[in-house]
Amino acid sequence: MRLILSILAIAALASVPLWLSDPYLLNALITTGIFVIGAMSLNLLLGFTGQLSLGHIAFFGIGAYVSALTSLGFDVGLPFGIRIVHEPWSPLAGFVMAVLVSALCGYLVGRLSFRVRGAYFVIVTISFAEVVRLVALNWVELTQGPLALTNIPPMSVGLPGLGEFIFRTKLHNYYLVLGVAVACYLLIARLVRSHVGRAMRGLMENETLAVSIGIDVTKTLTLAAVVSAGICGAAGSLYAHYIKIIDPEVFAFINTVTMVIMVVAGGKGSLAGPVVGGLIFGLMPVALRPVMAPEAQWIAYGAALIVILFIMPRGIVPALTQWMPRLRRVRRPSFSKRGIEESA
Amino acid sequence: MSELLQHLVNTLVLGGTYALLGIGLTLIFGIMNVVNFTHGILYTFGAYVMFIVVQKFGLNFFVALPLSVAAGWLLGALVELTLLRPLRGSDIDTTMLVMIGAWIAMQSATLWVWGGVAKSVPTPFPDAPLSIGPVSVSWLRLFVLAAAAALIVLTYVLINRTRLGSAMRATFQDHDTAALMGVNVDLIYTSTFALGSSLAAAAGALLGPVYVVYPAMGDLAAVKAFAIVILGGLGNITGAVIGGFILALAEELGAGYISSGYRDAMGFVIIIAVLIFRPTGLFPRAERVG
Amino acid sequence: MMRHLRTASLIALATALLMGSASAETIKIGVNEPLTGAFAASGTYVVNGAKIAADEINAKGGVLGKQIELVIEDNKSNPTEAAAVAEKLITRDKTPVMMGAWGSSLTLAVMPKLMEYQVPMVVETSSASKITTMGNPYIFRISPPSNVESAAFEKIVDKLGLKKVDFLVINNDWGRGTADDFGKMMKAKGIQIGLVETMDQGAQDMSAQLSKIKASDSETVIVTAAVDQLTLLFKQAEALGMKKRIITTGGSQNPDQIIAQAGAAANGTMHLTTFLPWFPDKTPNPEATAYFVSEWKKRGFEFAGCTESFRGYDGIRTAAAAIEKAGKADPEAIRAALWQIDVKGLNGDIVFKKSGPAGKESGQSQPNVYLIEIADGKVAMKSF
Repeated sequence: MRLILSILAIAALASVPLWLSDPYLLNALITTGIFVIGAMSLNLLLGFTGQLSLGHIAFFGIGAYVSALTSLGFDVGLPFGIRIVHEPWSPLAGFVMAVLVSALCGYLVGRLSFRVRGAYFVIVTISFAEVVRLVALNWVELTQGPLALTNIPPMSVGLPGLGEFIFRTKLHNYYLVLGVAVACYLLIARLVRSHVGRAMRGLMENETLAVSIGIDVTKTLTLAAVVSAGICGAAGSLYAHYIKIIDPEVFAFINTVTMVIMVVAGGKGSLAGPVVGGLIFGLMPVALRPVMAPEAQWIAYGAALIVILFIMPRGIVPALTQWMPRLRRVRRPSFSKRGIEESA
Repeated sequence: MSELLQHLVNTLVLGGTYALLGIGLTLIFGIMNVVNFTHGILYTFGAYVMFIVVQKFGLNFFVALPLSVAAGWLLGALVELTLLRPLRGSDIDTTMLVMIGAWIAMQSATLWVWGGVAKSVPTPFPDAPLSIGPVSVSWLRLFVLAAAAALIVLTYVLINRTRLGSAMRATFQDHDTAALMGVNVDLIYTSTFALGSSLAAAAGALLGPVYVVYPAMGDLAAVKAFAIVILGGLGNITGAVIGGFILALAEELGAGYISSGYRDAMGFVIIIAVLIFRPTGLFPRAERVG
Repeated sequence: MMRHLRTASLIALATALLMGSASAETIKIGVNEPLTGAFAASGTYVVNGAKIAADEINAKGGVLGKQIELVIEDNKSNPTEAAAVAEKLITRDKTPVMMGAWGSSLTLAVMPKLMEYQVPMVVETSSASKITTMGNPYIFRISPPSNVESAAFEKIVDKLGLKKVDFLVINNDWGRGTADDFGKMMKAKGIQIGLVETMDQGAQDMSAQLSKIKASDSETVIVTAAVDQLTLLFKQAEALGMKKRIITTGGSQNPDQIIAQAGAAANGTMHLTTFLPWFPDKTPNPEATAYFVSEWKKRGFEFAGCTESFRGYDGIRTAAAAIEKAGKADPEAIRAALWQIDVKGLNGDIVFKKSGPAGKESGQSQPNVYLIEIADGKVAMKSF
């Protein structure tokens, strides 16, 4: 049932460009899709380990900058007379580097900050994102600071025997984002259903118990942070090569807020949550744009968020999966809290 | 040397305002465990009330101040009653997101009503600063420092020396027992949130005239408030005060002697460092809640 | 509530889908400005200036016998949104020419879209030199980048008798560009450069930077920031008892707002500006300036906004002139026509000169730059 639903959803998303030729909406879908990938990675931390990262945009931005710099090349001086000159590599290499460097940052942040939990973790992640933003802003020699990195090439993949395929058009980029999103979804799904995923949820539900049965807290949480940061870096890389300019604004707090909204409103801890929440809150501004004044659009956006959470405090997808069986009058033995989330 | 002295005087003035920002949030975030994204907008609200009362209605500056604080109390109570009470007992992330929604909506409403152009609030203080030797400080900033100190002491006494204060502490330590002991728990929730909100509004009302008043002015203030609360330890009023001064000192000296580009990074670097070495803040509360 | 919201958005989405291009009765000009977010105040001013231009042109019979219609969209002070707005204006509204996008990062994000759809854009505010040197032939800028501004300042700098200057600039492309270009120009003139301090966009307390500058041995500070931060800077400089000469750059100062809000603290400060609404007769186009200023006041906007909004006014008049010259509302024809126009702008003739790599040059006009001084709470031309 779940498999059929997933295949149907992917097929529906894949068919979009066949009946939707409007480039503006396609553009909105691509940027939304990129943020949905970011939201999925945030969900891995927030929904499955219970750690709220309010600095998740840092990994996104690091991915974007690493990918852009790898494919543009740079020449930067370091202390002690060291000079690093990097010749441009392909955008695909940029993508790989983005994932690796973001994952490494995820490892460091994970190691350092899982010593603190809850509110403290939130603040460490915010602080981390702000420090990274200020470095991007002030290390002008490397990042060009506020002058922005421009002329970032579009993503391209070298196919053996077929030459280089460049993702130039919106259609190409749409399928690229969709492909990466599906791959990330599968990766996360696999991870949370593995024994590591069970360990994560065990920690979230009852840490003392989890530790007593031999779960290595730091290792489990760090793994989640590494995978989450890597995926978020991948999203950042897609962003850089699609938008083609990157400046420190990419680290704006509102971008983290957008991802958190996608996850929590969609339903944290449910795999489909960030996708559903992401599509709704990513496309809502597009729908609101023609009908009301700019300020009113934001008010409506905030109000919609409050209303959704009042009706469905645990998010859209968990609420739907809870209501659906009731509607069909199928009485199941009362499910546990976790059971609902898993079924999504 | 005179430069250092001036930096230290700046720190004192800035730290006082940071402390005021911090204590309001430490009540809500630290004691009530609500990740309060409306803190910044209440700060903005206090500043706008000040602007409206002084500039539009032409009332006296010192009359406007308590009015702003009262308005902040009312708005805070309203937010608690309409948005937080129905969600009591739900997940901390859910309430946080509702607060985010309220923040976005209220800030945009401010922009809609008043526009984005910054307003300034006239003050009765002389423009010329008080100069002692090589250091100078404006009279307005001195007044703000004194007012902030008074508010901080008042809050401290309210929380630690009054019946309402002990009811608050009891409620957030053990909700059920407090209810059994006859504490009106609902009232305590509302008044704690309203108290924290009125302190945010007070900070806005005091700082609006120092800086300028515009819809997004609360965002940076809120981020700093969160940092201060964490530095000082959740729910610890004295800690928040010290946290405020530490943040101010780090920013002043960082901008003065390291690089002004990294001024705002100083606070965050300190937070990361503090949390790595002292994961519960510099001054953890003896009685941790939740 | 919930259901209504959903229905409303669905209807909106559906109508948006169905309405491809509207009637051909009007000629559309896209306006891509920040109306919410960090730059809301400035973007709104520019849009209000643009509306004055459109109404004026339409009252005189429009362009090519048709009325012009501004399609105004909010880019939310966010580069991603700025690109999306350009996408909408070009593909949905079919605007043959656009104006935008205020901040440099917003404009830079729009630029790949101009290449993709081959639609020209009049850049009214952005100052990063990069914009006109990257080889984007669809860019026509009427605002001065900092190198143009410093070249204009070079002519008067000798008369100020500067010896050593510090810089205090906003930490973005605008401030950094100013510090670089003015620094180079002054060094060549034999003026010493002392501190170069930055402040974050949105920072409110600059006492630390000012204290450092107060203690330095220079006699002048060059400041680049938008009006709100300038107001705060003057107040804080006075509170610190800083006695140095302050010269601001960038043309986004709104001296009236500074006088109103900073009071006596603003006295003695000098400002490099690109528009003189106080002295219409000193501007290159006195009649137009007088009309613009009176219209601005008639609409009830704050006078202080003039120094920002005139760029929107000039930008739309530039676009309209190009449409007229092109003889049709076609992007390529308008792009070609932009090279040929000569518009009497509020701060000088708008004539585009080539800038950037050969074969794909962007257009850059050379606006006038004036030095004004605030004395006794009034704006005065600096005379030598």
